[in-house]
Amino acid sequence: MNIMGVRLVKASTLLPSRQAVSGEPSFPFGLARSGVQEVAEASFGDHAAVTGFALAAAEKAGASGVLWITGYRQSQEHGRLVERWAKGTFASSVEAVLHLETRKREHILWAAEEAIKSRAVSLVMVETEAPDFTASRRLSLASEASGVPAILLLPARTEGSTAAQARWRVASGASLPNPFDGQAPGVPVWNVTLERCRTAPSQVGRHFTLRADDEPLSLHPSQGLAPDKVAPRAGEAFVLHRIAG
Amino acid sequence: MDIVCANQRARKQGVVDGLRFTDAKARAPDLTAAHADRAAEAQSLKRLAHWMVRWSPFIALDGEEGLILDTAGCDHLFGGEAKMMKAISMRFDEAEIPHRMGLASTVGAAMAVALCAKQGVHTILAPGREKEGLQGLPIAALRLSASSLNRLRRFGLTRIGQLYDLDRRALHRRFPSKEAANAVVLRLDQALGRLGEPISPLLPNPRFACRLSCAEPLISSEGVAAGLETLSDQLSAALATSGQGAQRFTLHAFRADGTSALASIATARPERLAERITYLFRERIGSIDPGYGIDLLMLTAQRLGAMTESVAPLSAELTGTRFDPQEASLLADKINARLGDGAVTIRVPKESHIPERDERSEPFDGEFPSHLAPPPQAGPRPLRLLRQPEPLQVMAAVPDGPPMRITWRRVPRRILKAEGPERIAPEWWKLSEKRSRARDYYRIEDDQGRRYWVYRDGLYDDGRGGPPQWFLHGFFP
Repeated sequence: MNIMGVRLVKASTLLPSRQAVSGEPSFPFGLARSGVQEVAEASFGDHAAVTGFALAAAEKAGASGVLWITGYRQSQEHGRLVERWAKGTFASSVEAVLHLETRKREHILWAAEEAIKSRAVSLVMVETEAPDFTASRRLSLASEASGVPAILLLPARTEGSTAAQARWRVASGASLPNPFDGQAPGVPVWNVTLERCRTAPSQVGRHFTLRADDEPLSLHPSQGLAPDKVAPRAGEAFVLHRIAG
Repeated sequence: MDIVCANQRARKQGVVDGLRFTDAKARAPDLTAAHADRAAEAQSLKRLAHWMVRWSPFIALDGEEGLILDTAGCDHLFGGEAKMMKAISMRFDEAEIPHRMGLASTVGAAMAVALCAKQGVHTILAPGREKEGLQGLPIAALRLSASSLNRLRRFGLTRIGQLYDLDRRALHRRFPSKEAANAVVLRLDQALGRLGEPISPLLPNPRFACRLSCAEPLISSEGVAAGLETLSDQLSAALATSGQGAQRFTLHAFRADGTSALASIATARPERLAERITYLFRERIGSIDPGYGIDLLMLTAQRLGAMTESVAPLSAELTGTRFDPQEASLLADKINARLGDGAVTIRVPKESHIPERDERSEPFDGEFPSHLAPPPQAGPRPLRLLRQPEPLQVMAAVPDGPPMRITWRRVPRRILKAEGPERIAPEWWKLSEKRSRARDYYRIEDDQGRRYWVYRDGLYDDGRGGPPQWFLHGFFP
């Protein structure tokens, strides 16, 4: 269990991939690296996938200190993040997490802004209702000024305009077949759509099917010996991996 | 109904405390009375006590209408004991609070002197002269119970001096119980300084305090902020000289009308930088209402500790991390100053295999747990865990098998994949866990690709209640 770690995020694209305009950032378009980005549920119940996606991005970006701000309602609805387990699987690069749970939305946004401005942490995660344009503009400006990125984890009903750099829509997908047990869930898969993106407008609307590969050190049955269910690792191998420790 | 407290004019007409209201009405037909509000009185006494902190930090409440001040080391600030008492008395007169004051080396003697003093006359008993000073005072000044006083009066003992040479064994014989007799002796000994009398102070005694009197009363919060800056500079210098920092700072603002307000901040680790103190107070200063004007500001430091001066790496690249616990504790202090102490927490791993007890939230105190215990060998664990497992309706192919259909939050879901069970037994060595049941956990995935962590609470025929119940406990990404 403690050797798990997300290694690989992007696997394949579903839409015919558009020609990327040169100079635009590539996947994941600065998520967890710069600016404020929104990650929203595709429909109610995808919050765990949203959390996993955001954590995987944080791990990729090498975030070391995180302030995790949760609205009281969000933690009632979707449960609390279990830091120990999250670190063990998804975010092993994260050294320290400060948690803040509070009821009022203005407190959440205020704390997020203070954290961004203070530069004390390298990433701010905010679980709340979608902020209005003014609030997200404030966060974006603070983030641009200080260079501390923030990710907003938002519910499915997030719509409308935002000042954030990008908005992702995350849905859980059927997991890959488990090579050891045909009945069991395998490697998790997320269907991610880039809904808005200021830095790479040509990529807006692209779908990504991501899988969180969590078995870097396990033994894979070799071809021929393996049962039919073992799926070849299809798609373009777009490996953004950490050095397995 | 009895008279609790009569004013000067009523007393002139023969209305005294403890009189029946009907009798009082007979003596003074045009008597006006209001019901006594004990809670409000206690509240205002406490408010007064807070305001009295400007004279001495060591202050305690005594009963329903008494205040005890320890003036040791404070009187010279006001030009000596007599001048200090005069100044206090003047401020009380300004606020129209009738008062009696006394000063002595023991609490008992000071109280006795104060109880017998006349308004405006302040008696000071020099140390060691309690015996002579109290000699002529009535025994009522000793803070004894009414029944003890009655009994003593019946023996013809009315003055404190008469108790000095009394045979204590004889006293015991005359009282119905040993405790009642001891109470008299105890009060006498305390007043004479033969026995100590502990006082519990209203506010923790600060080790460092800085004061700023304002020639012109402050009426805006900008003024308070400016005053705070001066004070934190002074306090910071004082702390630096002693090589210490404090984890709690309190700002007292004394208004000209005899009321006061205070605001305090707490920090995760000992702190003494003036800028940080003012920075943290910025969120709290708004709560201080200047009212009719503030004439004295006082900043105190509590919970002192040695400063841990850490050497920051010259460049973040050298350590390979951008995370600095000291910076983080500053951020946490700032957030706590506005949202309440302990708002920012960290998770501390615990030795328990019960999933919900795996880690605990603790207030962030500037340090992260130095070593994270490796997670116990266990099956897959979800990313998010519900605070309370939520009941499920489950359909399973066989009673002991994994679920095929679940209904959670009133939505039916079809389960396509399942893994399990992983049995987690209760912590039977704990008494509170005696009736808990074993849980069989399954990792399941529904037709929309959502992955849940569910468990069956109990086994069939485990003799701990009815058939097992299903619960949803967490979510996998």
